[in-house]
Amino acid sequence: MSGHSFAIETRGVTRVFDSRKGFLFREVSHTEALKGVDLAVEQGAIFGLLGPNGAGKTTLTKILSTLLLPTGGRALVLGHDVVTDAEWLRPRIGLVLGGERGLYNRISGRENLRYFADLYGLPTAERERRIDEILARVDLSSAADRRVEEYSRGMKQKLHLARGILLRPQVLFLDEPTIGLDPKSARETRKLVRSLVADGVTIFLTTHYMFEAEELCPQLAILSKGRIVARDTVARLRQLVGGDRTLEAEAYGFEDTEVSALRRLPGVSKIIEEEYGPRTRLTLRVRTDEVRPDDVRALLPDHPELEVKERRTSLEDVYLDLVEEEAH
Amino acid sequence: MEPVRSEFSRGRSTLASLRIAILQFLADPQWLIPSMIAPVVFALVSYELFRGSGPYFLTYAILGAGMMSMWGQTLYGSGWATSQDREFGTLEPTIQSPTPYLYVILGRVLWNVLSGLFGGLIVYVVIVAASGGPPALPDPLGFALLFVFVMLSLASVGVVFAAFYVYTRYAGFIQNIGEFAFYVGTGCMFPVVLLPFWTNPISLVFPPTWGLDALRYLAIPGYRGFGWGFWLDLLGALGTTLAYLAIAGSIFHRVERHVLEEGNLSQY
Amino acid sequence: MSSALAAYRTSFWRTFWRNALMAPRTSLGFMRVDFILGTVFVVPLTQMVFFAFVVQLGGGGASEIAYTALGNAVATVTYSSIFSVCQTTDSEKSQGTMEHLLVSPANRLALYFGRGLIPILISLATVAVGLVYASVLFGVSIAAASIPELAVSVVLTAFAMVGFGLLLGGVALYLRTSIILGNIFLFAGLLLSGVNFPLSQLPLPLQWAGDAFPLTWGLAAIRAAVSGEPLSSLLVLWGAVALSAILAFSAAIGLWTVFERRALATGSIARF
Repeated sequence: MSGHSFAIETRGVTRVFDSRKGFLFREVSHTEALKGVDLAVEQGAIFGLLGPNGAGKTTLTKILSTLLLPTGGRALVLGHDVVTDAEWLRPRIGLVLGGERGLYNRISGRENLRYFADLYGLPTAERERRIDEILARVDLSSAADRRVEEYSRGMKQKLHLARGILLRPQVLFLDEPTIGLDPKSARETRKLVRSLVADGVTIFLTTHYMFEAEELCPQLAILSKGRIVARDTVARLRQLVGGDRTLEAEAYGFEDTEVSALRRLPGVSKIIEEEYGPRTRLTLRVRTDEVRPDDVRALLPDHPELEVKERRTSLEDVYLDLVEEEAH
Repeated sequence: MEPVRSEFSRGRSTLASLRIAILQFLADPQWLIPSMIAPVVFALVSYELFRGSGPYFLTYAILGAGMMSMWGQTLYGSGWATSQDREFGTLEPTIQSPTPYLYVILGRVLWNVLSGLFGGLIVYVVIVAASGGPPALPDPLGFALLFVFVMLSLASVGVVFAAFYVYTRYAGFIQNIGEFAFYVGTGCMFPVVLLPFWTNPISLVFPPTWGLDALRYLAIPGYRGFGWGFWLDLLGALGTTLAYLAIAGSIFHRVERHVLEEGNLSQY
Repeated sequence: MSSALAAYRTSFWRTFWRNALMAPRTSLGFMRVDFILGTVFVVPLTQMVFFAFVVQLGGGGASEIAYTALGNAVATVTYSSIFSVCQTTDSEKSQGTMEHLLVSPANRLALYFGRGLIPILISLATVAVGLVYASVLFGVSIAAASIPELAVSVVLTAFAMVGFGLLLGGVALYLRTSIILGNIFLFAGLLLSGVNFPLSQLPLPLQWAGDAFPLTWGLAAIRAAVSGEPLSSLLVLWGAVALSAILAFSAAIGLWTVFERRALATGSIARF
C-alpha cells in the first residue's frame, strides 16, 4: 500500500456471497458484490460513496467497519488492516447502519446508549456526561428516557447516530444516514455530519441522494455493480461526463440529421436521447460557453413547439450517465 | 478532537449484558411465563406418574423439573437472546463493538441461570402444594452448595450452545427439535443409567448429567445412579464443566470469524 | 350478480392457495424441509422415550408405557398444529407484514384456512410417524382392521388442532406476542388431555379444562380406534372432535375479526 497515511485505503477488495438452496440437491449460487474496489480517503474528509441499490455500498461499508470479511484484496482503516487488526480498530471507528432495526426497542434510548457505552469501553467516569452530551447533540435529550419503540423513524436514526459517535470515533461510517427521514431531520443530520468533520472525524458516507452528496462530499466515488466507475471531486466528475453545462432540447421527435448537426457544435461532448411519451428530449453536455440555447434553436428550425433549457450539470446527471455507461 | 480512550473490560461487558437482560425482562416480565410452563407441567405429570412409588419420588419430580427449568432457560434463553439480536438488528453493532461476544453471552447466561432458578422455585412450590408437604432433604447445606455449582456448570454449556446461535440463524429450531433429547440424554427426570448402555457415553459428555446424578446422591437416600458414587460424579461434573469453559473460550473467536465470512449477521 | 359471485369464488381460492403455499416459507414457525422432517421424525420419538422412562422409573409396566407412548405419539401434533400456527402472528408482526395483511381485502376465511393447510398435512404425518413408533418400539398394538377408524380419528384431530392453533393466533393478534400462548398450550395437553395418565386421575376442575381442549377428544377417539371399540362409540367421539374443530375454526374467524378491530384501535399490531 502507499506510504501516504490515508484514513481509509482499499486495494482490489472483492466480496463474493454464497447462497444455498434446496434440501436434497443443494444448489449454491455466487454473487459478486464487490469486484475489486480501490479507494483512498484523506484524513478528516467526508467521502461520499454513491451507487444504485445492490451496487455493493453496504457491503463495502461493512467490510471497512470490520463487520464482514473481504473475499480478496486488502482494506486499511487508519493504517490498520480491517481483517487482522479488527480489535485495534473497533474502539476507533463508528458505524451507523440506520433504519428501523439495530436498537433494543423495549428499553429507553439512554439505556441503549449506556449498554453500548459499556461494550465500547467508554470510560465509566465520563459515561453519563458523554451520553448527555451526545443526546443533546442529536436533539434527543427530552426523549432519552422513553422506550425506543415509541420513537419516530427520525428519532431512531438520531439514536443510531448517537451510538456511532459515542466514543468520538476517528472514522465514522454512515450507511445512508438520511434515508426515510423528513427534510427537517435530514437537514439536521447533515448539519451534525458537518460538525463532526469540523471536529476532525473522517466520514465515509453512502447515499442515494445526489444533492446530499453534492452538499456534503468534496470527494466522492460512484459504485456500480461492485466496481468503482468514477472517483473524484464533483467538479471533475462533471468534466468526466462531458461538461459543466447541460442544454436540454425537447420536441415531438428529432431527425437523425438534426442530432448529428447538434453533435458537430463546438464544445458539445455528449448527447443523450430519451423518449417521454410523444416527446423526445435531447440532453447535451457542453464543455465550454460557446454553445448557447439560441445555437440549438437555430439548428432545429422545424420544431415550433421546441423548448430549450440551460442548466448546470448536476451530480445526478453525472451519476446517471456513469451508471448507465456501466450498465451497457 | 481527542478520541475517547476505550476502557472496555470483560467484566464490565458481562455486567452490561446482564443489566440489559434484566432491563429487557423488567420491560416485559411476561416472558418468564413460557419458560415456567414446561417445567411446571412436567413436574405435575411426573408427580402423577410417580404417585404411590415412595416418598423420594417427590424429590425426583422436583429435582427433574427444576433442572429442566434451568436447562431450558440456560440453553434456550441464552440462544434465544442471540436470535433476538438477529431479529432486532442489534447483533451487528454488538459484534462490531470491541467486546468479544462471548462476554455479552456470559452476562445473558448468568441472568438466564437466575431466572431458571426462579422456575425451579416455582416447580418446588407447585409440587409441595400438590403433595401437601416438602420432601425430606438429608443434607440441605451440601445440596445447596452443589446446586450452585450445577448452575454454573449449566452456564458453561449455555455459553457453548449460544455460540451455535451466533453461527446459524436456524439454531433455535434445531434446538427445539432436540429439546426432549437433551432432557432424556442428561437424565433430568430419571437416572441416565436406565437408558441403553450405548447412550451413556453421549450423556456423560454433558456436565448436567454428572451434576444431577451427584445431586440425587445427596437428596435421595440409597440412590445408586451409575454406582461409582458421589465423589466421582462431582469430579466428572467439575471436569466436564472446565472442558466446556475451555471450549467456550476458544469457540467464539472462530464463530465470530465464521459469521464475518458469511455476512449473515443481519439475517434472522 | 352471478359474475360478482364468480369473482368472489376466484378470489377465495386464490387467497386460499396463495396462503397455503406461502405460509410455510413466510410466517409459520417452520421454514425448511429439514426442520419439518425433524418435527415429524425426531420430536415424537424423543418425547415418547422421555415419558416412557419416567413411567418406568415410577414402577409402571408394559401397559402403562404403551398408554403413555400412544398419548405422546398424538400429543406431538401440538408442535406443528398449535405452536407453529400460533406463531404466525408474531412472524407477521415482526416482519411488518401484518398491517398489509389487515388492510388487504382478502377473504379472511380463505386466508386462515389456507394457512392451516400445510400444518394439517404435517400434523397428519407427525401423528402417523408417532403411531408407527408407538407400535414398533413401545408395544402399542394396532390391528390392521382398526386402521380406517384410526385414520378418520387422526384426520379429525389434525383439523381440530390446527383450528385451535389459528384461534390462539387470533388472540395473539391483540397481545404483544403469541409465544406465551403457544407455550402454554404446547405443554398443557400433556397434563390435561389424558396423554400420560387417564383424565379421571385429575381433580374435577382440571378435567373440565381438559375437555375444552380438542386434543383431549382427538386422543380419546384415537385410543378408542386403536383398542377396537365399536363404531357407535367412535361416532360419538368423532362428533366431539368434529364439533371442537368447527368451534375452533369459527371462534378463530370470529376472534380474528374482533381482535383485528381491537388491534387497529390500540395499535398493538406494530408491537412485538
